[in-house]
Amino acid sequence: MEADLVVDAKFKSCPGPLLALASVVSKASPNQLIKLLATDPAAPSDVREWASNVGHQVLEVKKIGNVYEIYVKVSS
Amino acid sequence: MSKISIIVTSEKLDKLYPAITLAGTAAISGWDAELFFTFWGLLALKKGYEPSDVSTDYKQFGAKLSEAFASGSMPSWKTILEQGRATGRLKVYACSTTFGLLGFEENALESFVDDVIGAATFLGKAKDADITLFIS
Repeated sequence: MEADLVVDAKFKSCPGPLLALASVVSKASPNQLIKLLATDPAAPSDVREWASNVGHQVLEVKKIGNVYEIYVKVSS
Repeated sequence: MSKISIIVTSEKLDKLYPAITLAGTAAISGWDAELFFTFWGLLALKKGYEPSDVSTDYKQFGAKLSEAFASGSMPSWKTILEQGRATGRLKVYACSTTFGLLGFEENALESFVDDVIGAATFLGKAKDADITLFIS
């Protein structure tokens, strides 16, 4: 999946990854695809809950080694 | 719209962070969030305050927490607060009685404090909250 923007929040603990993601998403354009990199095991669940609250879409969550790649599509 | 109201009664790291984390996360998630600082919680709103101590009962964990902050793995409490406030949905209130008890000067509080209010006013704001917490 080709992301438009990458947010690197590795080694940040809650609420770091979500703050970093929300900050980038707030400046992103509709339908852009954001890839969040996180090592916090709480990140996938937190991002899903956040996205369902604010209307964005989690398209995919991958785990590569210790790193989660969370793909979020910005709402249109 | 969901809403969380939190009463904060301590300025220590281990009491401040749970409150700020929940309120900041709520605000960026589209919730309304209110923080009411009373008693020693009000010390956290004084201009220039930076939390460095944990509660006495848990002081053995102080060094570990300082390490986490120094490494950048934990965002600073002001970063969380400012990002929450940037949504326009996170409000910070100071308790008027404590303000008087502690003898604070009129401009003693940080600019991110929305208002100095009494108990009845806070109750009026918090009465329709979905979650209410008292962190001490």
